[in-house]
Amino acid sequence: MSPTAIGSAGAARIQGAFARANAQGRVALVPYVVAGYPDADTSFEAALACIDNGADLLEVGLPYSDPLADGATLQRASSAALKAGATFDHSIELVRRIARARPAVPLVPMCYANQVIGGGDGRDAAKRLAEAGASGIIVADLTPDEGGAFERVAREAGLAVVYLVAPTTAPERRRMIAERSSGFLYCVSLVGVTGARASLPSDVAKLVREVRAASPVPVGVGFGVSRPAHVRALAKAGADGVIVASALVDALGEDGRDVAAVGRLVASLVEAGARSTA
Amino acid sequence: MTVARRPSPAGARRANRANRANRAGVVAEIAARRLRDIQPILDALGRAELRRRVAVASPPRPFAERLAAPGLQLIAEIKRASPSAGRIAAASEDIVARARAYQAGGAAAISVLCEPNWFGGSVQDMATVRAAVSVPVLAKEFVVTAAQLDLLRGQGADAVLLLASVLSPAKLARFVDRALELGLEPLVEAHDEREIEAALATSARVIGINNRDLRTLEVDPERAIRLRARVPDDRLVIGESGVREPATIRTWRAVGFDAALVGEALVRAGDPEDATRAFVAAGRPSTDIVERSRLPFVKICGVTDLAGAEAAIRAGADAIGLNLVPGTPRALELEEAATLARGIRAMAPSGRRTEVVAITVDRSAEELAEIATALDVDAVQLSGNESPALLAQLTRPAWKVLHLPRSVDNATAAAQPVIQRAREFLAAGAARILLDTSGGLYPGGTGARADAQLAAAIAHEVPVILAGGLGPANVAAALRDVPAVGVDVASGTEAPILVGQRPRKDPLKVALFAKRARQARADRPNLPAGPRIAEPGLLEADDAGRWGMEREFGGRYIPETLMAAVVQLQNAYDQLRHDPVFWSELRDLLATFAGRPTPLYRADHLAARVLERARAAATGGAVPHALRLYLKREDLAHTGAHKINNALGQALLTRRLGKTRVIAETGAGQHGVATATACALLGLPCVVYMGAEDIERQQPNVLRMRALGAEVRAVHSGSATLKDAINEAMRDWVTNVRTTHYVLGSAMGPHPYPTIVRDLQRRIGDEAAVQLQAVEGRLPDLAIACVGGGSNAIGLLSRFIGEPSVRLAVAEAAGDGIATGRHAAALAGGTPGILHGARSMMLQDRDGQVVEAVSASAGLDYPGVGPQLSALHSARRLELAASTDDDAFEAMAYTAETEGILPALETAHAIAALPRLLAGTEGSGVAYPAEALVVLGFSGRGDKDLASFGRWRERQTGTVAAGGELPR
Repeated sequence: MSPTAIGSAGAARIQGAFARANAQGRVALVPYVVAGYPDADTSFEAALACIDNGADLLEVGLPYSDPLADGATLQRASSAALKAGATFDHSIELVRRIARARPAVPLVPMCYANQVIGGGDGRDAAKRLAEAGASGIIVADLTPDEGGAFERVAREAGLAVVYLVAPTTAPERRRMIAERSSGFLYCVSLVGVTGARASLPSDVAKLVREVRAASPVPVGVGFGVSRPAHVRALAKAGADGVIVASALVDALGEDGRDVAAVGRLVASLVEAGARSTA
Repeated sequence: MTVARRPSPAGARRANRANRANRAGVVAEIAARRLRDIQPILDALGRAELRRRVAVASPPRPFAERLAAPGLQLIAEIKRASPSAGRIAAASEDIVARARAYQAGGAAAISVLCEPNWFGGSVQDMATVRAAVSVPVLAKEFVVTAAQLDLLRGQGADAVLLLASVLSPAKLARFVDRALELGLEPLVEAHDEREIEAALATSARVIGINNRDLRTLEVDPERAIRLRARVPDDRLVIGESGVREPATIRTWRAVGFDAALVGEALVRAGDPEDATRAFVAAGRPSTDIVERSRLPFVKICGVTDLAGAEAAIRAGADAIGLNLVPGTPRALELEEAATLARGIRAMAPSGRRTEVVAITVDRSAEELAEIATALDVDAVQLSGNESPALLAQLTRPAWKVLHLPRSVDNATAAAQPVIQRAREFLAAGAARILLDTSGGLYPGGTGARADAQLAAAIAHEVPVILAGGLGPANVAAALRDVPAVGVDVASGTEAPILVGQRPRKDPLKVALFAKRARQARADRPNLPAGPRIAEPGLLEADDAGRWGMEREFGGRYIPETLMAAVVQLQNAYDQLRHDPVFWSELRDLLATFAGRPTPLYRADHLAARVLERARAAATGGAVPHALRLYLKREDLAHTGAHKINNALGQALLTRRLGKTRVIAETGAGQHGVATATACALLGLPCVVYMGAEDIERQQPNVLRMRALGAEVRAVHSGSATLKDAINEAMRDWVTNVRTTHYVLGSAMGPHPYPTIVRDLQRRIGDEAAVQLQAVEGRLPDLAIACVGGGSNAIGLLSRFIGEPSVRLAVAEAAGDGIATGRHAAALAGGTPGILHGARSMMLQDRDGQVVEAVSASAGLDYPGVGPQLSALHSARRLELAASTDDDAFEAMAYTAETEGILPALETAHAIAALPRLLAGTEGSGVAYPAEALVVLGFSGRGDKDLASFGRWRERQTGTVAAGGELPR
């Protein structure tokens, strides 16, 4: 098989998940768990709670010491996970456990460039993540400008490299990024860092429509999304998926152990994503 | 004199509005009226009388030549009224006193309005002023008929205004020629592209660009600047209208205007002499030491007579070439040349030597000796196929000309043999190398580019003087394309050749050539002005912002949200990097506000202490016998550290970006203080992020920032130090990117920050090199600085990267010692990774988690380092040393005690490392010369560290309570 064909494996699984949700008249729900927060087992249970309550894909955040795109919630969770002994090896192991336990749901780790690329091209990290069962990867501080080499090694490993577009991204650049993004395109809803918001920007629907029109792959919208009303609004705007992270980490509670609350929130968000109500 | 039937200013404005739709507008109305009024007067005088008056008139004073002098000249105007401003001076105004005040203030020429109805002037005013001053006088007249030119010259005018907006192209050209015949210098004024084209189609040597549209009277203050580039450099260019303050004059000088015509601002000023002086001062070329050091060497070649020599000397030429090549057009007989050489010596002003060079081709050593003696030349130029062996037999310095092929396919490859040859001649003792092309380097057309690339490739490696095909019009462009150290011109400065006569110099062309050459790189500090012998990847980032032999460092690893802002920053900086207006404004601020240049101080007592310690540290290797240690005193810059250089530059940049809010991070607080200072100066709101731990240990700087009006936000995440402050600043930037510029404090971060900060800090090394040359006559053996992110280090070292004789070193913070793992030495103890937007050396674990740096010095307490320094380190162009907290505190103590200078704790790391570098126990280990010359970047003052220093000292003397820890 050519590298491209292998690469399409992860991308195809991701796109398949979006297509299934769409066929069921829903916006795909993409929840997020922080690997190793508050500990490995609890993060595994939280992942299962997300999936069992209707997640279409799952993002697995790899804790990082300097998460400069993240707001207070994810910073705190990341830092707590590292303090509790989280490592890249443990994250790989968690991905493997989730993939084995719930093989139908594609897993997409999210991380920072130094964790996977650092001083090299990221070949090793891509290979290990793919082998563990990850379908794609989101690198918060990687854009196509610097991503060429990593895309090649990820493709060889069968891992889709998901890029992000932001409200500040110019229209021509959106198209370029969408064309380079594999599996889906991550549309950042707001100008800012991650973190639950009471409301989304007023022009988010316009952004989603424009990004979707420019993208050959499904569009998942994230950053700030925390409530069923947000999901309904984004579904109405035509998003293919919504990504919910900080709100779920918040739901885990102060000690990070309220897995049941995560399950309930995911269920309510999934319900809100039904297009038939729109 | 009375103003006859002058329409009221309000009437003029009404007329103006009424005429706005009419292309001709106000100016046409004035011109038509002028013709009606003046024609009867001219008729009454008659042609013969006009001619007689011209014949007996006082000889014209050189107007164009005055404007060709270095810098921007002021033409001060006398006017009583104007259609746009109405009456602006009393009718009884003493124009003679005013004219004399202008002259006393340094005006190069005086312009006098001759139009009575709108401007309240008269030809008689002009004649009166002309008689009262010794500078040239410009008749500001509406010339509508050729006979007016005779009338004006007859009344003494030295120059005359001709309006491209009034005269048809044909008439304009005719009037220009007529004026030139009369010795009346025509100043052709244009205000748009079309009029400039018409002006350029004439033989006018002086072109004016008016910010004011004479049809509508509206002033667009950017118009002249925008249009300046449309006038080729072989004409003199005057900016007109809208100058209200000296800053505008500085801007106009920076963009290449030769003169400014200033009227209203001077007429309205209380004291015209003082006002004139302020404008004149703003027009003077910079006396900045770095700027002066970058001026190209100018050789005027092929001088054939004393008048030509005089023109060259007046133009400030560095050398005059006398041609002794028989059979060539400018050849002189030996006797003739000797007489001319004596004349040049007699003429040369004291204190400034104009070298006399004999141009020769393939002469024997004996012949050259004879020529050298006969002319008493400073050098002989060898323009033929001489061999390096000949140089050993010569009695005078030799300059060697190397001939370039006219066009080449591969400039880099073609340059190699020339570079090789140049090095052979330099090794044999040649004083200078000239590059010449038989066909001319800039003949225009398609063949020229390859030649420029070839010359550039050579000039990057060896110091060369560029010759061939140069003239006032192209010399500046040539010097920007090619980092030559000088230029040589012969035919490009000559008057039209008369049949049967030897070529002669045109004094205006000579002056203009020298001026244009010296302007070429003025206020463009990022254009190389000489060879820089280093791999390109060590000198500059590529388009993607990558540095290094393999372009393995740098780049741009940032969230997509920031990409637009970073690209906007890059586009803005691409425009600004060689924008003389930006850099002249910044240089002015650095001089008047920040105290640059900072001194270079020879610290003999400290040097003795350093040598003592070096000997003690030595493990057998040779330690220098003597050390001349120069401290580049950035601690004396405003706010007490080098950080102000960057902060001022980026604050100006913020304004150019159209952003209204500034954020910054700070470690030791110096960058925060500098940014708060720059923001206070420019009226920008400023938020500084600072780690909670750093806030603890750098209280004085926190108080300073707050006093300066900045908001200091404590960062508690991570290690609560510099790196976390950067994270938080980036988060703020991600959130407020549309309104906010992030003033990054070090030469790190995503492209183009490492380039911007390096460019803004390179002055440290640029100044140090010039200052050291002045006292030592050479560059240092070693340049050393402390390094955290690296802005002070790259600022000092940048100048020396391309100087193979200079060793470069940095001192990292070793904290508790590199072996303990508790340190901040990203280069010595780190690995390549991605931190804060760029790939560089950094402290990290095997998972890519950033390892917290450890150092008592808040300014060095950072786990990364800028990509250019990583590239230099990786290429083995940078030697490393590391100083522990204890080393640094100790150095703080002995520097203060021996020299009376309290260094910042950061700076003390560099001082502490020096003994070990000189002893060879750190760094490359290669021995230094017996008399070592070292320049050390004295990055900041230590007041902010006094509390930490006190605690350290107490601990040293054992008076601190048990369990007292080293301060950090």
